[in-house]
Amino acid sequence: MIEALRKKAEELLRSNTVDVIYGYGEGSTPERTRPVFITKPEDVNKLIWNKYCVYNLTTYLKRQESRKLGKPAIVVKGCDAKTIVVLIKESQIKREDVYILGVTCNGVGEPLATKCKACDVNTPRIYDDLIGEKIENKEIPFDERYAELDEYEKLSEKEKWDFWQKQFAKCIKCYACSSICPLCFCDRCIVDKNQPQWIDPSAHPRGNLSWNVTRAYHLAGRCINCEECQRVCPADIPLNLLNKKLAKETEKNFNYRSGYNIDDELAMATYKEDDNQDFIK
Amino acid sequence: MEKTLKKENFNSLITGLKDQGYRTIAPKKDNNLVTLDEVQSADEIHLDHVQTNNSIKEYFLPKTEKILSYTLEKNKVSIEEPEGFAVKSVVFGSRPCDAASLPIMDKVFNWDCSDKFWVERREAITIVTIACDKCDNYCFCTSVGLAPDSKEGSDVLLTKISDDEYLVETVTEKGEGLIKGLETVFSDPVAGTPDRQVASVEKKFEIDKIKPWLDENFAHKIWAEFSMKCISCGACTFVCPTCHCFDIVDECTMSKGDRVKNWDGCQFKMFTLHTSGHNPRSTQDQRWRQRIMHKFKYYVEKFDNILCVGCGRCSRVCPADMNISEMLEIIATEENQKE
Repeated sequence: MIEALRKKAEELLRSNTVDVIYGYGEGSTPERTRPVFITKPEDVNKLIWNKYCVYNLTTYLKRQESRKLGKPAIVVKGCDAKTIVVLIKESQIKREDVYILGVTCNGVGEPLATKCKACDVNTPRIYDDLIGEKIENKEIPFDERYAELDEYEKLSEKEKWDFWQKQFAKCIKCYACSSICPLCFCDRCIVDKNQPQWIDPSAHPRGNLSWNVTRAYHLAGRCINCEECQRVCPADIPLNLLNKKLAKETEKNFNYRSGYNIDDELAMATYKEDDNQDFIK
Repeated sequence: MEKTLKKENFNSLITGLKDQGYRTIAPKKDNNLVTLDEVQSADEIHLDHVQTNNSIKEYFLPKTEKILSYTLEKNKVSIEEPEGFAVKSVVFGSRPCDAASLPIMDKVFNWDCSDKFWVERREAITIVTIACDKCDNYCFCTSVGLAPDSKEGSDVLLTKISDDEYLVETVTEKGEGLIKGLETVFSDPVAGTPDRQVASVEKKFEIDKIKPWLDENFAHKIWAEFSMKCISCGACTFVCPTCHCFDIVDECTMSKGDRVKNWDGCQFKMFTLHTSGHNPRSTQDQRWRQRIMHKFKYYVEKFDNILCVGCGRCSRVCPADMNISEMLEIIATEENQKE
C-alpha cells in the first residue's frame, strides 16, 4: 500500500497535476507520525502509511504557509475526506482545488481511536484515487454510531454541569483544539476579537466555559468527528464528547450527517421558505 | 547535609509538612495524565512517570491571576491589590529540569522591575526534587548543560537508592531548615557509597554550536521548512517551564474591574499584531524562529542563560510532532559542517 501511495504521489508531482503532497511521514517515535509536505518527486519515499496516521491533514488547507506551496494532493482517510466535503459546501475550497488521495483504513491509533470504533467510512466516500484494497463500508445503526454518549447521557443535568466544570478547569487556553480543527477556519476567531471582548481570554472558570462551549457550538452540524481536537488537547479534556453530542442532535432533528453526502444541504446554513422548523419563519 | 528517606515515610513527611502549615504539591495521576497538583496524603503521589504534564511554572506564574481590582466613582479611582497569593508550599517530586528553570526565570522577573508575584512565591515555596530514574526520547537535559540529577534550583534533592529508599541531599539553607523541622521522618545514611539510580539521558547536540549558528542564520530556509507542519497553537509555550510571556487584560464593567495577567505565547499570530494592522511576525516560520532565537540567543545575550532546560514537554505535546531537540540537532550539525 505504501508503494502504491508513493508511486501515485510521484506520478502526480512529475505530471504537474499537483504541486505538493500533504502526507504522513515518520515521527519522533515509532508510535508517532507527522505531517510531511512533499514537493519533489525524489522525496516521495518519505511518505508512509500505518496505524499511527491519526492526523486529519485537511487542516493544512486553511493555513497560508502550506497553501503557498500550490495545489495539493492530500492523503485522506474516510473520516478526513468528510472534511473536504464540508469545506466545499461551505465555499472554502473548490473541488478542483484539491486532489484527494483516499486511503482505505481499518482504524488508527494504539489503542484504537474512539472515532474508529463505529466507522462506516473505511473507504472514503469521495476521492480522486483510491490507495489500498476497497473495503465495503458498513451501515451502522444510529444508536451504535453514538454509543460513546450512552454513559454521558445517563448523567443528570447537575452531574453534567459538574463534569464539564471539572474538565474545563484543566483548560490552559492554548487553543490547540481550534488550531488543529480543519473546520475552525475563521481568519480571526471570536476569542481574538477584543473590541468588545466577547470571550474572556483568561483561563478561569468563566473564560474556559465560554471558550469551550463557543468552540463546540460553532461546530454544531459541521464537525465530522475526526477527533483531532481531543487528540491534541494537552489537558486531556474529552472535547469530542461535546462535538459528538451536537452531531447526534443535528442528525436527530435535521436528518443530517456532516460531510457524509456531498449533495446534502448544510444543516445550519441553508434557508428554505418551506422549512419544517417553525422557529425560523 | 545527607539523610535517607524511606518511601513508607512519605506519608509522615506530608503530614509533618501539613502540621507546619505547608501546602504540598506533588505528581498526581488524573486519568491519562500525571500532573503537579495539591495532595493531601502520600497515597495520591505518583512516582512512576518520566515527566509531569504541567510544569512547575504554574505555581509561580499561574495560567491566570488577578493583579489588581479597581473601582471608578465619579473622579475617584480606588485600587485594591491582591493578598495571600504566595502560599507557603512544598513542591515535592518535581524533576531536576523543572527546578532548574526557576533560577533562570528569576533573572527576567527581577530585571527592570521586581515582579512581586514571582518573588514572593519564590520565597514561599520550597522545592524538593526527585532525580529522574528514567527518561524518554524527548528528554535532552544533558544537551543543555543539565543532568537527570542536577541540583540547580532545588532546595532538597532526592535520589533513589533502592526500590523503597531515597538519598536526601540538602542544597540550600531553606532545604536544610525543612529537613531539620522533620527530623524523625529521615534516617542517617549508612556508611559506604549508595547506589544512585539515575537515568542515562543521551546527549543529542553540543550546545556551544547553537548560538553561533543562530547569530548568522536569521534568514535561513530551514525556519520555513521545519515549521510547515506547525499549527500555531500555544501548547508548546504553555507546557514549557521557561516560557514566561504574558498578556494583561482588564475584565471590567463601566464602574469596576479586575486587571488580569494571562499566559500568552509567541506562536499565536495575534501575539505581535499591531494596532495598525501590521504584523511583524505574520507567518509561522517567523514565529517558530522567534521561539528558538529567544531561548538560545536573545536570552543568552541578555541574561547569560539558555532559556531551556531540556524537559521535552513541548515536543511531547505538540499536535504536529514538532520536535525541538531535532531542530537543535540540525543546527548543531550545520554549524559543524561549516568548520
